[in-house]
Parts: sequence; C-alpha cells; structure tokens
Amino acid sequence: MDERIKDEILKIEDLSIQYKTDLETVYAVNGISFSLKQGETMGLVGETGAGKTTTALAVLGLLAERTAKVTSGRVLFEGQDVCKMSEHELQRLRGEKISMIFQDPMTALNPVLTVGEQIGEALYLHNEQELSKKEIDRKVEETLEMVGIPRERKSEYPYQFSGGMRQRVVIAIALVCNPKLLIADEPTTALDVTIQAQILTMICDLQRKYGTSVIMITHDLGVVAETCDKVGIMYAGEIVEYGTLADIFTGDCHHPYTEGLFGSIPSLTEDARRLHPIEGLMPDPTELPEGCKFAPRCTKCMEICKTCQPGVWEKNGHQIQCHRFTENGEVKR
Amino acid sequence: MSKYIVKRLLYMIPVLLGVAFLVFTILSLTPGDPGSIILGITAKKEDIAALNTQFGYDQPFFVRFFNYVGDIIFHFDLGTSYATRQPVMDSILARFPNTLLLAVLSMCVSAILGISMGIFSAVRQYSVMDHVCIVVALVFASMPGFWLGLMMLILFSLKLGLLPSFGADSLRHFILPALTLSLPSAAGLLRLTRASMLETVRQEYIRTARAKGASNKRVIWRHALRNALLPVVTTLGSGFGASLGGAIIAETVFAMPGMGTLMTTAIRQKDVPMVMGATLFLAVLFGLVILAVDIMYAFIDPRIKAKYQNGGKGRE
Amino acid sequence: MNKSRKHAQLSEFWRRYKKNKTAVMGLILLVIIVGMALFADLIVPYEKCIEQVGADRLQGPSMAHFFGTDEFGRDLFARVVHGSRYSLLIGLATSLMALAIGAVLGASAGYFGGVVDNVISRIIDVFMCVPPVLLSLAVVAALGTNLRNLIIAITVSCIPGNVRLIRSVVLTTAEQDYVEAAKSYGTSNARIIFRYVLPNAMGPIIVNTTMSISTMMLSAAGLSFIGMGIQPPSPEWGALLSNAQTYLFVAPYMLLFPGIFILLSSMAFNLVGDGLTDALDPKLKD
Repeated sequence: MDERIKDEILKIEDLSIQYKTDLETVYAVNGISFSLKQGETMGLVGETGAGKTTTALAVLGLLAERTAKVTSGRVLFEGQDVCKMSEHELQRLRGEKISMIFQDPMTALNPVLTVGEQIGEALYLHNEQELSKKEIDRKVEETLEMVGIPRERKSEYPYQFSGGMRQRVVIAIALVCNPKLLIADEPTTALDVTIQAQILTMICDLQRKYGTSVIMITHDLGVVAETCDKVGIMYAGEIVEYGTLADIFTGDCHHPYTEGLFGSIPSLTEDARRLHPIEGLMPDPTELPEGCKFAPRCTKCMEICKTCQPGVWEKNGHQIQCHRFTENGEVKR
Repeated sequence: MSKYIVKRLLYMIPVLLGVAFLVFTILSLTPGDPGSIILGITAKKEDIAALNTQFGYDQPFFVRFFNYVGDIIFHFDLGTSYATRQPVMDSILARFPNTLLLAVLSMCVSAILGISMGIFSAVRQYSVMDHVCIVVALVFASMPGFWLGLMMLILFSLKLGLLPSFGADSLRHFILPALTLSLPSAAGLLRLTRASMLETVRQEYIRTARAKGASNKRVIWRHALRNALLPVVTTLGSGFGASLGGAIIAETVFAMPGMGTLMTTAIRQKDVPMVMGATLFLAVLFGLVILAVDIMYAFIDPRIKAKYQNGGKGRE
Repeated sequence: MNKSRKHAQLSEFWRRYKKNKTAVMGLILLVIIVGMALFADLIVPYEKCIEQVGADRLQGPSMAHFFGTDEFGRDLFARVVHGSRYSLLIGLATSLMALAIGAVLGASAGYFGGVVDNVISRIIDVFMCVPPVLLSLAVVAALGTNLRNLIIAITVSCIPGNVRLIRSVVLTTAEQDYVEAAKSYGTSNARIIFRYVLPNAMGPIIVNTTMSISTMMLSAAGLSFIGMGIQPPSPEWGALLSNAQTYLFVAPYMLLFPGIFILLSSMAFNLVGDGLTDALDPKLKD
C-alpha cells in the first residue's frame, strides 16, 4: 500500500443510491466518486435535492433502511466498505470515527435530555479508554468550553439555548470523540449571518487542531471559498465538476452549471457570495432526463447532450462531466 | 416547582366553583319542585309547600346555590336525598370506593397494556405482530365497552363459571368489570402510543443519536420513548374521566353497587340532590386527577417545567 | 382558489386515500351502513319491527328470522336494520352540532385571543372537569329521556374538546403570513376566520369530527343501554342490548347482532378517520 492510498481516509467509488417507494423511484445519487485525505476539507456544493445529504448519510450508513438502496459502488472508509458493514460495526464507526453536524440545530437535539447528557453519550458509547463517569464529565466540560459554551451550562436543556449556541452543542457532540472524519451538513444555513462566520471559524480551527478531515456540505460558495481544499459540484445526484479550490474558483475550464452558479467565474479575491439565477428547475429526481441531467437548463446545450450521458474529462485531478470538453482539454466547437 | 403546584391548586378553586355552578344549573333545569316530586302532584298544597321550605326551594336560585356550596365547604354536606331523606354524602361515601377502585384498576391495566403494546408495535413496524396489534386495537377501540362486558360475562361467568357475574364483594368481582373498561381504552392508548412513537423516531434528534453510534435499542429507550410518551401522558387525565364514565355504565352490566348504579337509580327517582351530589363529587375528583397529570407532565418535559418555574401560566 | 385547482387537490387527495387499503375498506363499510339506514324500508318494511308474533317468541336465528326474535316475537333483523337510523342520526347530528359550536367558540378564542380567549378558555376548563358521560347524564337527568335530549346531552359533552382542538389549530394557523397579509389589506375578521383560517386548519378538524362520530355513537348506545337514552320499544341498538340483557340466559343471540353492528359502524368511522389522517398529512407516510 503506497503512501497516497494510506492517508486516503475516505474513498467513494461510483456510488448510486435510490429511494424506492411503491409509487416511484427517486434517483438521489447517480454514480459519484471522490476521495478525501487526512486533514483535508472537501466542499460538496449544490442546490437542495442534489443528493448531498444522501451522500453524507451513506457515508455514515444512516440511509433509511426500508426505502433507500445503494444500487452500485462502494464507500471505503480507511479501506473498509461502509455499505457492507454490519449494524454493529457501523455503530462503532459512527460518532467515534465519523461524525456529523446536522443542518437544523433547532431540531437536532433531544428536547428532554440535558446538553451535557447528549454530549457525554458519544463518549459513553465509545468508551474504549474506560473513562469513569467523572472523567467523562470532565471531558464534556472541556468540549463545551472548546466550542465556547461555559461549562456550567451542561445541565441545561436545549430549549434554553439560542440557535447558534445549539449548533455549538451539536458540534460538541460531533467532536467529543475526536473523529477522523466530520461531515458538516449545511452547518450554518439555519443560523444568522453573524453567527455563521463564528461557527465556520470554529469548525476550521478545530479541524486544524485535530487534523480531522471534513466534508462540508453547503450551497454557499462563500463558505466553500473560506473553508475547503477541494470542491465537488453536485447536480441531480452527479458530481458534475470536481477539483481543488483553485480549479473551481480560478481555473479556465468549467462545467456550465458551475459557471451558472458563479454567474461569471470570479477570482478568489473577489466577493463570490451572490448566485446568479440559472433558468429553470432541477429535474424531477424520479424522471431524470436521458442525456446530460443539466441539458434542459444549459445555455450551451448541444444535440448530443440531450441523448447521451457525458463522460468525465480530467486534467491534473480537475474533473468535468460535460460533452463540451474533449480528451485533450480543449473546448469543443 | 412547589410554587407552581400551589398556583395550580389555587386556580382549581374557581374552576371547582364553576363546576359546582354548572352542575347546579343543569340539574336545576329539572322540572318540578322537591315537594311535588316527593309527595306527588296529588298531595295537599300545604304539605308540598312545607317540604319545599324544608329543602330551601322557596329561596331564589342564587341563594340556593350559595347555600349549597356553603354546606359543602363548611359542613361537607351535599344535601338530603329526596328518595331516602338521608344525607347524600353518606350514600356517596358508601358507594364511591367501588367506583374508584374500578376506575383506578382499569386505568392501570389499560395504561400498562396500551403503552407497552403500542411501543412493541411501533418498534416492530410492518411486522406480522404489528399488524395483529393494529387490527386487534382497532376492533377493541370501536367496541362498545358494555357490550364487551356482556360478552365476557356470558363467556367467563355463564359458560365457564370462572368469575362472578355481579356484586362487588371481593377483588375477583372486579376482574371482569375492570377488563371491560380497560380493553377498549388500552386499544386507544395502543394506537396513540404507536403513532406517537413512529412520529418521534422520524425526528432529527433521533438521527443525531444514531449518528453518535447509539444502538437501535438505546435510541428507542433513551431518546425516543420519553418524547413519544409526552402526548400519551396528556391523554391519561382525560382517560381517567373516560374510565369514570365507563365505570358508571359497566356497573350496570355487572350489577355492582357503585356511583353509576346510584346515579341511574337517582335519575329514575328524580332524586335531584343525589344526582347533583354524585356528579359534583366525581367532577371534583376528576378535576384533581387532571391537575395531578398536569403536574406529572411538568416533571417529564423540562420545557414545561421551566415555564412553570419561571412563574408562567400553566396550561396553554 | 379556482375550481380546477380545487379539483386537482381533491383528485390528489383521493389518489392518496385510495392507496390505503384499510381506509378503502372502511369507506365501503361506511357506505353499506349508511345505505342500510337510508334504504331500511326497502330492505325490510318497518312493520316487521313492531309486528309481534306470539308463536315466534325468543327464537334463535333462522331463515325466517336472520337474527332471531325477541321476547314479543318481533323480528330482530328488522329491528337492527331500522335501529341503524338512530345510531347514524345521533352520531352525525351530535358531531356536526358540536363541530359548529366548537368552531365558533374555538375560532373566536384562538383568533381574537385576549379577553375573549380567557373567558372561553376558563369556561371550557370548567366543562373539562366533568367527565363526558357524567355531563351527558346530568343533562339527561335534567331534561328527561328522549331522542332530542339525548342528542343535546351528547353534543354538550363533546363541545369542550372541540373548542380546545379548534382553538389550538386556529392559534397556529392565525400566526401564518397569509393571515397577516389578509389583515394588512383590511379584510374583515369574520371573513379572515371563515375564508383563511378555518379552511387551512381543516385537516385535523375533519379527522377529529369523523372520529368523534364513532365516539358519539358509542356513548349514545351506552346511555341508551343504561336506560338514560332512547327508550324501548324504539329499536335503537343500545336499547336492544339493554333489553337483551334480561334474556342473557335464554337468548344470548339477542346480544350478538346489535353489538356487532355498533362495532362495525364505529369501526367504519375510525377507519375512514385514519385514512383521512394519512391522506391529509402526506408527511406521515414513509
């Protein structure tokens, strides 16, 4: 095993996930691949319903049992396929090695347990060092202070905290076991703008301190620019463009959807928070178009796009899934 | 917390006065005066008038009401029965223990049975046992309790001879009436608990718990159960009211000397003070039970508890 | 809201309802029972209910008398079929009346708040202290036993719960932005309540009313059973059971059929209520 593979903490290969009900099949994720190294932060960007959260849940093995099916691909965490793990193995993985910050702090905390109990639970569940109750308590207090909450508040209930403070509690729950991979699912969407920056800075600081790898799910390109090393742009369950932060924000070649997201491609120094509208809506995930999923909304759509699924163009790790690019990186005309 | 309890107890005073007024008003609508009810309309006018004076019926409505309430508060007296000419309170205290025992027994049985089966059914959603539970619960919840009682009476008393069919002499006499009352309400609780449980496990915080690595068992017992039981607990109070009401009817089925048979007899005899006294007595009891359940609720839900501690208003 | 959109909503609602097999079963059962009540005279003439055949006293079920006969030799099948009218009438009348009164009181309390809410809520607190059966009994005791008084008694016992429910539903709906918007351009209060708030709060109210029909039918039967509702010789199901209790030893079949019919009709409303809950609230379905 060479060095490169070794520090590759997460590798997703050709992952497809469908939600099946008696009425319809939702094609949530359609053959995505990416990998993440130790200490790296990857941004997963896309509109609501692009399959970002589904991907995250698949990494944790938390997909809805009855309806969700992984139809192809693998999710390798430290070389082991998460999709093939038993429930018991998954439980040992969750919270200890991989943990997740959820979008809405108002609903992500159990209303009848104190925040201390909720943070301590992860430690209690993964108590390999056999910490005593007192030691767990101390660790909970440390973690609370780490996320900027006074330790005395550990015996308070979630309703006594504001949205931003609750999100800190959620982060404390996610980080208390020092996980190797942290999935942050739109951690700032539900928060005030002023709080957003605080929370993001905090996640980044903690990540640097512990060398945690992070998957940052968001639809805010500003967040990506501030926090990520790599970026995957998701559309209708596919990663349509994937590359380093520089590839996505400054490179010359882009997927039309990415261009649409930025309006025009700005440089890193410019303010890129504003999203220019892209005409139309994301396709119905139960009836995806035959060719390129983005074709119906694409301003540069060609005949081939309507019938034929585009392949992946790649240059130095920068990948684009679009017919406009040929093998040698030239724009087709 | 104790401040809240005191506050709620104080609030109960106007409510109970209101209940007394309500019951008094409704039953004052009964046509006829005590004299003609007791002696019959063919009796001599003077005798009727004398009796009416004796019962205070010659006084205006509000005076009668205040006298009635005053007697209850200061003399623990609910008036005199038209039929027996004995204090109403004596008859009630003689009959009440049976009704209370029946209501409490059936309440406990239905809570234990209904809630545990509801959880069981929700945990095994879509399994065969779940479907069986749903169907059985639906049938029992739709069943008239007294009919169930009669059917069980035929089966267990007449055909099998296992249990007594009437009276209230020993605990064995309470088995059939208590089952009669508790099975339909247990079915209702099962349906409610199951629905509440299924709603709760869909919540985000359940996903948070699972993302922490909690096992399914732990998720259910530690995270889902308490939240799922909140709406169930709120219905326990009114469930006790339903039990009391059901007891009134079940007593008729099993010819049990209790408040129900006392009341139906009194209604037939137009014994207004007896009906009034019995209704008021049970209503006050029920009011206290509701209060107890509210306070219990505050102990399980920290949000409510805090609202109370901050001196906020109770039931909103 | 224009007609075609309303139509589309209805057909979407029906599509979801239809998917639920038990709900459809409940609906079929309901149609059968309502049909039985409506066409009782076509099924079996009313005369059969009162016709006393001395030779046929206390006969078990047979081809001549499907459900047997009672102590006067009256045909129980005819009596059960015609008895359905009482149960349905009482169930529907009480639920709708309690709904109307509950809607006015609950909506005013929830919408206006303040003093109106306080007065209504405190009165309801008082009513809630009296268990429903007890409240009905008190009303019956005061007014006397007949169909009209039974309907009044049961309606009264059902109102407090309705007011509570509708108040809380209206309270949440009245906070919505579209109500604020309507207020801001000067719509009258009554119009806001009936055009904006109540229609949007309809889901839980419809479900509750459907379920309450079942409860009301059960309590009517119960009251009649203890002799405080509809009196014999009316063939009301509860009254039939009350009568059957006397002949428990010799003619247990007299108990069976009225009970089964109460059970089936109450179940029909429960099933339809469950179906409505699911169909009106798609998020509950996985």
